[in-house]
Amino acid sequence: MKPAPFNYHAPSTTEEAVGLLAELGSQGRILAGGQSLFQLMNFRVVKPENLIDINPVSELDYIRVDDGTLAIGARTRQSALERSTEAARHSPLIVEAVKNVAHPSVRNRGTVGGSVAYADPASELPAVVLTSGGEVVLTGADGQRTLSAGDFFRGPYTNACSPDELLTEVRLPRWPDGTGHAFLEFQRKHGSYALVGTAVLVHLDGESIDRVAISLCGVDQTPVRASRAEDLVRGNVPSDGLFEEAAAEATSDLHPLPDVKGSAAYRLKLARVYVRRALELAVSRAKGERP
Amino acid sequence: MSEHRRIAVVVNGTPYEAEVETRKYLAEFLREDLSLVGTHIGCEHGVCGTCTVLMNGVSVRSCLVLAVQANGAEVMTVEGLATDGQMHPLQEAFREKQGLQCGYCTPGMLVRAYELLEENPEPTAEWVREGLANNLCRCTGYQYIVEAVLAAAERLRGSSVAEGQPFEPATSSRTNQEA
Amino acid sequence: MVETREESAERKWVGKSIQRIEDPRLLLGRGGYIDDMRLPGMLHAALVRSPHAHARIKSVNVEAARRLPGVTAVVTGEEAAELCNPMPDFGPDPTRHEWRCLAKDKVRYVGEGVAAVVAESRAVAEDACDLVEVEYEPLPPVVDPEAAMEPDSPLVHDALGSNIAYEKTMVFGEVDRDFEGADVVVSDHLRWHRSSGQPLETVGAIGNFDPGSGMMTIHVNSLTFTSYLFMVANTLKVPSNRLDIHPHPAGGSFGSKFWAVKVAIIAGMLAKHTGRPVKFIEDRVDNISNSDHHGSDRTYQVELAATRGGILKSLRVKVVDDYGAYIQFGVGHHGNALAQAVGPYRIGSLQYELHAVLTNKCQQGAYRGFGSEVQNWVLERMVDLMARELEMDPVELRRKNFIQPDQFPYFIPNGNLYDSGNYEGVLDKALELSDYESWREEQRRLREEEGRYVGIGICTAQERSVFSATEFWFWFDEPAAPVTSMPESVTLDVDAMGNITATLYSCAFWGNSPETMVAQLVAEEFDVEPSQVNVVYSGTNQGLPATGPGGSRFTVMIAGAVQGASKKIKDKAFKIAEHLLEAAPGDLEWSEGGVAVKGSPDRRKELSEIAMAAHLFKHSLPDEIESGLEADQVYDHPYTTMPSEDRKNLGVFYPFVGHACHIPVVEVDIETGKVSFLRYTAVHDAGTVVNPRSLNGHIIGGIAQGLGTALLEEFVYDESGQLLTSSYQDYLIPSALDVPEVVVGHHETPSPYTVHGIKGAGEGGRMMAPAAISSAIDDALRPLGVRVRELPATPERILGWIEAAQAQSSS
Repeated sequence: MKPAPFNYHAPSTTEEAVGLLAELGSQGRILAGGQSLFQLMNFRVVKPENLIDINPVSELDYIRVDDGTLAIGARTRQSALERSTEAARHSPLIVEAVKNVAHPSVRNRGTVGGSVAYADPASELPAVVLTSGGEVVLTGADGQRTLSAGDFFRGPYTNACSPDELLTEVRLPRWPDGTGHAFLEFQRKHGSYALVGTAVLVHLDGESIDRVAISLCGVDQTPVRASRAEDLVRGNVPSDGLFEEAAAEATSDLHPLPDVKGSAAYRLKLARVYVRRALELAVSRAKGERP
Repeated sequence: MSEHRRIAVVVNGTPYEAEVETRKYLAEFLREDLSLVGTHIGCEHGVCGTCTVLMNGVSVRSCLVLAVQANGAEVMTVEGLATDGQMHPLQEAFREKQGLQCGYCTPGMLVRAYELLEENPEPTAEWVREGLANNLCRCTGYQYIVEAVLAAAERLRGSSVAEGQPFEPATSSRTNQEA
Repeated sequence: MVETREESAERKWVGKSIQRIEDPRLLLGRGGYIDDMRLPGMLHAALVRSPHAHARIKSVNVEAARRLPGVTAVVTGEEAAELCNPMPDFGPDPTRHEWRCLAKDKVRYVGEGVAAVVAESRAVAEDACDLVEVEYEPLPPVVDPEAAMEPDSPLVHDALGSNIAYEKTMVFGEVDRDFEGADVVVSDHLRWHRSSGQPLETVGAIGNFDPGSGMMTIHVNSLTFTSYLFMVANTLKVPSNRLDIHPHPAGGSFGSKFWAVKVAIIAGMLAKHTGRPVKFIEDRVDNISNSDHHGSDRTYQVELAATRGGILKSLRVKVVDDYGAYIQFGVGHHGNALAQAVGPYRIGSLQYELHAVLTNKCQQGAYRGFGSEVQNWVLERMVDLMARELEMDPVELRRKNFIQPDQFPYFIPNGNLYDSGNYEGVLDKALELSDYESWREEQRRLREEEGRYVGIGICTAQERSVFSATEFWFWFDEPAAPVTSMPESVTLDVDAMGNITATLYSCAFWGNSPETMVAQLVAEEFDVEPSQVNVVYSGTNQGLPATGPGGSRFTVMIAGAVQGASKKIKDKAFKIAEHLLEAAPGDLEWSEGGVAVKGSPDRRKELSEIAMAAHLFKHSLPDEIESGLEADQVYDHPYTTMPSEDRKNLGVFYPFVGHACHIPVVEVDIETGKVSFLRYTAVHDAGTVVNPRSLNGHIIGGIAQGLGTALLEEFVYDESGQLLTSSYQDYLIPSALDVPEVVVGHHETPSPYTVHGIKGAGEGGRMMAPAAISSAIDDALRPLGVRVRELPATPERILGWIEAAQAQSSS
């Protein structure tokens, strides 16, 4: 299981990386953490002719808050995000989620940008970006553009980057103080791919929920936002019945991709349970009942 | 098409320079070019953790890192644990507690355990178990590995752990048990 | 057969948890595994694997591959069939069932080798594999074993004329009478899916052929029992005395490197073909899809008969076993099942109906238990079902039916023997260690107060050990062989300094502890420190007869060999000491690693003094004493007998039978089907324990594997025969967070037939855990009416069972 040969490019700046992308076009493939790409290459499922390694692009390694937005450079290691106090203050949701990504040694290499750009429909970080109302910054030879998460994820392993664009930043807006979060996922064994995951943010205005976001992964072609379930919850006082209703609504129109890990029907059942549990957890955190 | 690059890398404190094929992953480089065959290859797709080494102080799957990406890095492998012919306390503890059977996952486990104890010198059994879930072992069921890491932590903290007894005393009865 | 039990033995080393001799080199990263070895001029091989389950090979175009720089050779299946004879085969009809190291004419499963490439590096070999163009004509895949048995099914092997490789019904005792007379009969349909050992190190070999001498040397990490290597020589077309196989330490086996000679044969073939040393190491996909070592894949219809009072009377088993594309070991797996078919119970009669079916899947090999673990699961499932039917406590039903300590040696209905045991003793210890009663209380509380589904499981089952191999052939009407002895050998060599070297034959270290065991056993015999004993492995060409590990035989057999060789050496040492000490033969005794005059401990000669005399000063010694102080011992199976011609009695074939009781406590999340562990207790009786810590490690590790079998691991083939689980992302091996902390206890009932009373014990953990965990899940879900009838009990399956039970109860 050795990768097919390739030409290796190691740009040290974003500009160089983007220049290489422009030059190589569809022959070039970005190498970020490589924790998914090298798997595919070792199996020879993919055989890129050119790898553009952005690991040396240290300017894309940052976690900072700009104007109330958490900005994470694409080359930031997942383990750095996991340990970032800045990120934990600003978006405990993404910190909770990233701990579910594979194993620590994988997160020591895996990057935030790579995970988002890979657009694995079962992956954790895309669901979090979607829930948070986040954006991605794409940089091309002609400049930058910013896309909402909803516009970025186009299908399984498919995103809205054009061949000469590099995802350079992930941006998460800050939710108000007192927001409760929950990321829960179902793995058959520790560290294995999730069958289903749920990312929830909830804010309470007094007794009732005034803001809510619910996303799921592993249940459709892309991570999905459960907007109708959010509508159902918003403005209401949390209760077991409400969560159950919301969970049913959130899973009423999904089309999971079945595979050997789990059938579509089973994923839907899990999704319903996990939406309910995540809502419960997020609300209890919003109320300050749980850490 | 077979592209090569010259790299400089420090492994277990020794600097090396080498011409490597760009597609060669780090584990292969360590084993073939440097003859450091203690780093084993298990699944070659990043799941089993057998090939775990430290790169710039943190553990990586060396089947999912290219040798060229280690250019300029410091790498530690199982061969870097023992010093001056003395086994590292982790190695001693693995031996005492029989935290290994076939030994194939052991180098990766030791490196991971080393990283864990660097991160937290006073771990609980639960914390160690969670940390070791990074690596698969097919022989032991992990229990004696957890015990070994805890024993090594105690020794590294310098507390009063007896020198490794070469042999344990006889069990007193025909029946023995342990928890 | 001699009873060798030493009642009075006060042992110094056997029974101690000494640190393992093997460990320092493993801990230092100097394990010496096969892939660590490099020979000058060595080349690397990779295989082109079949993407089809079943297809005719129309053409193989290797031109582009051969032209790739760095490629030395490409060998197609057709060419391999010229270079090699068919693979060794212990199956029912090798003449009509041809198995080759590379597929010729047609492929029979996804992953089967079609061509081999030899190149300067593994990476280039894989590049060349990508350039090999194979034209296939897909054939209808044979995937479902039940459908494969139909007369109109497509055939896996055309020459056989059927996909049923073998079928037979054996009846032992008065089965029909016992069923007719029974008050209660429970029956069930049970399903055990395929999994495998999956050691973290795959199978690998380096072939090296010397055209000058005609000598073929192969370094391997698989077990290649010396006594049968003539079969490998035949495949490689080399004279049997010009084949030398060097065993290397293996990074785990769990059965999967048992007689795994295909990799060695491919490496040898390619070395002979290229004239250069060739290394072939399976990658993980090879090892998952083309290992020849998938585990049992069985569908059962079972009936158990009992009296209303709970006396178990008779067992009827009908099993269809999906063997995959070839059947290298025949149906020995079911011989293993028969060895302990009635478990620890006084079940008086047994019917066993077997249908071994060929399909387009990787063939079965060995996996820890070799098929007996499935029988344990089946029987324990049925005993639990009977307890439910009779509304009896499952512990008490078991207790009521145990074979009693005074009934040993005990012949089970098919003629195999259980040597010794104290099953109630094991059970009582397990109940005590597991806090069984307080967990029953806690279970009630959690269910009532918190609505949690906690279950306590129990398994009381057997661990057969030390095969004599009749179980491979007693199925066939014509004896394939007379009773085999499956010997194990050792050479002990005391050098002039009195240091002892033990040479083992055909045995490589597999994660078991052959060096530690032998050092302890030799130290016991000579009253020296184990650290003074050096243990080495011999190549087979100078080898004594040997079988190696497998069927939990090694420690028992090597103990016999060590004892025999030690006696020969000590006899000679006494003769020399008689001369040196001018003592009469009866006046000497072995004492503290030397020979002393009885009653005058100061008048003594150390082993080193005796050895120096033996090696250098022969002419100072009496004439009949030859120089040197070494001895060989070939130790044959100590107790095995022939089956009867009508096969109503299978003879004694697996007689050293341990026992264990496992009591897991689990919780089931009834919304997701996920199972988690609250506690796990295991008490084993493996006779006299040589190294308790090592044995515990094997038990705990075996439980982790059994847990994988019970909950996680499954090779899934879809209806087109595609293997859906060819990576560790889909084939789920338990991690540290998936397995429980295990409380281990022992109850030692020595075997009367083995040296020191040892029984084999390498497989017990996996032989018990699936049954115990199934029982615990049942117990947790009992309020919902769920019963585990299929493994692995994946969360999805469990949820499906819960829903089915609810649908049934509401309809």
